[in-house]
Amino acid sequence: MILRSLPLRHGRLALPKPPTPVRSWRRYLASEVEQTYTNPHEDQQFIAGGIDGTKSQAIHSLTTPTTTTASSDDQVKHDWEFFHHQKATTGKLGSAIAPHYKPHELLSNPPRPQDITLELLLASQAHIGHSTSLWNPANAKYIFGVRGQHDPIHIISLDVTAAHLRRACKIVHGVTERGGLVLFVGSREGQAHCVVKAAKMAQGCHLFTKWIPGTITNGQQILGKCRKRVVNHLDEEVPGFEDQLLQKAAVKPDLVVCLNMLENYVLLHECALNNIPTIGLLDTDCIPTWVTYPIPANDDSIRCVQVIAGVLGRAGEEGQAVRRARARRGRMPARQNHELEAPREGEADARPLEKEMALLLAAEAFEEEGVEVKEDEDGEGEEGEHLDSSLSGAEGLDVEEGEGAIPYERDAPIEGGADSGRVEFSPVVEQRGEVRDEGDWATEGERRPGQERTERP
Amino acid sequence: MGRYDFSPQRVHAHATQLLAHKRLAIPPPWYSIIAFVPPSERLTRPPLQRSQRPGGKKASRLFKPLRLRYEEDRLRWEYFNDHPWELAKPRVVLEDDGRDAEKWDWSIPLDHALNRPKSGATSEEGVQLDLEWDSIQAGQAGRPINGEAVIQRTHHLLSTGLPSSLASSTALAEFARHRHYTETLLRVAREEAISTGAFFGPGPLEIGMQLEDRQYDGWKKWAEKEIVALKQLQGSAYTGQEAEGGGQDVVALEGGTVGGEEGVASEELQVVGGSVPGSRAGQEARGGVAVHA
Repeated sequence: MILRSLPLRHGRLALPKPPTPVRSWRRYLASEVEQTYTNPHEDQQFIAGGIDGTKSQAIHSLTTPTTTTASSDDQVKHDWEFFHHQKATTGKLGSAIAPHYKPHELLSNPPRPQDITLELLLASQAHIGHSTSLWNPANAKYIFGVRGQHDPIHIISLDVTAAHLRRACKIVHGVTERGGLVLFVGSREGQAHCVVKAAKMAQGCHLFTKWIPGTITNGQQILGKCRKRVVNHLDEEVPGFEDQLLQKAAVKPDLVVCLNMLENYVLLHECALNNIPTIGLLDTDCIPTWVTYPIPANDDSIRCVQVIAGVLGRAGEEGQAVRRARARRGRMPARQNHELEAPREGEADARPLEKEMALLLAAEAFEEEGVEVKEDEDGEGEEGEHLDSSLSGAEGLDVEEGEGAIPYERDAPIEGGADSGRVEFSPVVEQRGEVRDEGDWATEGERRPGQERTERP
Repeated sequence: MGRYDFSPQRVHAHATQLLAHKRLAIPPPWYSIIAFVPPSERLTRPPLQRSQRPGGKKASRLFKPLRLRYEEDRLRWEYFNDHPWELAKPRVVLEDDGRDAEKWDWSIPLDHALNRPKSGATSEEGVQLDLEWDSIQAGQAGRPINGEAVIQRTHHLLSTGLPSSLASSTALAEFARHRHYTETLLRVAREEAISTGAFFGPGPLEIGMQLEDRQYDGWKKWAEKEIVALKQLQGSAYTGQEAEGGGQDVVALEGGTVGGEEGVASEELQVVGGSVPGSRAGQEARGGVAVHA
């Protein structure tokens, strides 16, 4: 095809003039759709473009004078509103898709504790237990029955599951309401997303890799480099505690939610040793005495795990909202066992940057020099030698004694150890405490009458 | 109990003791809520399970979970024993909201999709049959028509009072009609696509043949190596002239022409044309052990 006079062919005059500029885009809509949209720019002409009139380009009329740049902003705004109106009116035309299961919604919009129904748990395959030969008889009261001829499996009672799940939600809600730290743990494949999402909603910590044995019992070593911060009742960071935090071990969680109990038996044992309550997803082959609050359900179904983690995360979110609302109204949470001292105001204000730099240099120097044991007495010296041999292994570290020897700091991790530099808790470990004058420390926590007072011995 | 550690269930009591003895200054954040919502009982038995067959139960089995039995199980057993390949058909067990089973109406026949009345047809009462069919199909078109559908349909027909043989034969006939229709539909669609230029990858039979060919090639390589090894083993026992005979056998196995070697080893090879299996001399060995003149 030979194109001559191309500009003329594609000029404005060649396009059909719309009969009524205002109604041009309305012609292309289905007749049964109601038009309630009023065009605020009725004086302007529109050119209907596109196959079905979806693209409309407003042009200034040749007769009206060109207005200032402000009208172009109005034009953009008008186009935006028009686009959304058209989407709302025409988007539903065609086939109506019935509501159905969308897997991503369990992560983007998890169900709330109010949404726990037996149907939801059934659809999430929470009732499917393991083979009958692999069961733990202690779980007999959570099991509804046996299904299958050749490879029978246990079916978990969904009413029992729902009851235990609601109870666990109350616990998570209560702990977060009182400013507690919840740790969500799920180390199987596919559990990472829901664990992170639940921790975000409850403003707690998450773990989706292997739990390092000793993270709680040996926290000073394993989490020695963990970043800590002090926040006030409004979740704002409070400066002035850096030197105290350097000596402090990482904060222990106040509640642990474990989504695969069998693999994380070490974690649950450490929590039991440190008197930390636990919530666990109990399958038919798990041991029910390992956790404080079991939730009998299927831990092999990712959908089931996402539903339960989502519901618990929502409960934590609600608890956090209650706590924040109370804090904004001025009702502080109870005092906590953080053992921090109010920073002396003189030191805090004077040369904070230099102090930080000095501390950092000291820490680096300590790491480079390695572990040194000061030999004070014979007994300690022997202990030191034993300690040295166990630490160094093949290479022999010379035990130096001298006036400049830095004493062994129990908070620093072992140089060259297997887990040096690895932090399993999420980087931000918050300690909630309120900074006030020393005179208020004695009376803190007695503001709110009620349960706290009656618990005092 | 010795084997069990009940400390997770006793966190609250433990914390109370620590507070009483001043080991803890203030109660932990979970203290009051755990007092309000205490942990559940552990290691207790469920209530006595009354078995469906009274009497004769061992004491150890009285507290075990019961086998769940439904009427449809018997129908499933009969149907899938008669049609085992229906188990090979893929079936979607994913549920949307847990109430999927309530959506399907099993009083509607399985071949309802094939029975649209003529446009404008009316029943005696004046009901527009084709519109009624449309409204039913709007809700029931998504019904999966498979072996499980046959069982549900049979179960429904039995509940209406039909004798079991009639119920099962009705459901099977409807299912067969529907299955025949869909299979024809797929076959015709495939033929139409091919005629308009579409091409498909290898089907299951072709892929099976390719896998078999690969296995056969692997076996052949192995067999050749085995024969060479066997020859060497046997050749080491003999001294002298049997090497050419062994070489001949390998060539014969590969199917290569022995025209070149025939003249060389003709005195080794015997004419086997006249060998008879049942005769006194027996059938001459072709390959394998070296044949002496």
